[in-house]
Amino acid sequence: MAVQGGLLASSLASQIEKEVATPGTKTKQKSSPQIALPIVLFLAAKLVAYTLLGALLGALGAVLQMTPTMRAILQFLIAIFMIGNALRMLNVHPVFRFFSFEPPASVTRFIRKKAKNKTSLFSPIFLGGLTILIPCGVTQSMMAGAIAAGSPILGAALMFAFTLGTSPVFFILSYFATKLGSLLEKQLVRIVAVVLLVLGLLSIDTGLNLLGSPYSISKLLQTNSQPQVAEILSAIDQSENVITLNVINSGYKPNVLKAPADTELTLNLITKNTNSCSRAFLIPELNISELLDQTGTKSVQIPAQPAGKKIAFTCSMGMYTGEIVFN
Amino acid sequence: MKTLLLEIKDMHCSNCAMKLQALEDDLPGVDTVDASYRSQKMKVIYDETIVTPVTIMDAVRKLGYTPELIP
Repeated sequence: MAVQGGLLASSLASQIEKEVATPGTKTKQKSSPQIALPIVLFLAAKLVAYTLLGALLGALGAVLQMTPTMRAILQFLIAIFMIGNALRMLNVHPVFRFFSFEPPASVTRFIRKKAKNKTSLFSPIFLGGLTILIPCGVTQSMMAGAIAAGSPILGAALMFAFTLGTSPVFFILSYFATKLGSLLEKQLVRIVAVVLLVLGLLSIDTGLNLLGSPYSISKLLQTNSQPQVAEILSAIDQSENVITLNVINSGYKPNVLKAPADTELTLNLITKNTNSCSRAFLIPELNISELLDQTGTKSVQIPAQPAGKKIAFTCSMGMYTGEIVFN
Repeated sequence: MKTLLLEIKDMHCSNCAMKLQALEDDLPGVDTVDASYRSQKMKVIYDETIVTPVTIMDAVRKLGYTPELIP
């Protein structure tokens, strides 16, 4: 969700920058329908584009599989894009201008001609369609789901449902941000740049989690906070070779599991009406990847590990994390 | 046809470049405009019998930018 917000912010930033582009020109307060229509068109174009993309990904499903490493690399690329754009908007150095998408003159001529015919409504449609080039973390997961569906119809249906479902949130965010933009103008560009910076860092954090790195921001915060001691004690089963992890909608309980060293273990993953991305469970270091049922228990074998070793686990989006500590 | 090279230091996004390129349609005598946000430069190919560099620079100023002539 954080990354989606960033992409939305990028899109809004372009709109705001356009408004600010003419110093001395009084920004006219747009009426509600004038603001709402471009947003609706933007979302409609996005819906069509993602549905088509879903069909394409579904068709490619049997061939391609997004590994956690691929997703992590994608997250890093998104982070570079976001941070670069934020620094460009803050005018830190001319080199960051390269993060601005500059279409060829022939393309801009084409857009201009279209925009002239249809006033300013072509731009939001065009931008909405272009969002498929910069998918966010949640969208990537859905794209992975579309690939996994292995059918163009199922892939298209999945992406259609997902995009339609997220549209109301986007509409509300865009609507209020546009209203705000006409009031704050240049100041908002700076605010959006800062938000982009933060989201870029979060994207790096997600990528690090997907790689199982112990140095992600969320891991460091987790280390500084008190682990759930009571949960840890109950997490070790009567049999020392079995540890239990509850997979809930808000992550993993406990988020730190203690386990005996030098012993092969069975990790029981328990879900109970779990609907969040925590169901897509990963242990990157051991190449373990499981899509859990909404309710049920799945057992995973963990090979013997030396004392002091910590193995990170995460959801497939790098949002929810935890670790197994071997003693 | 002649070529005019301008430096526009106050372009702050690629929309600015698009706006300047629109002079192709809006200013009679201007044949082609290639404006780049990255390089902060603008190349104008114009018909010297219809429009002068001064008129072009004035049109750029009216759009809110500060053009500097590149010799």
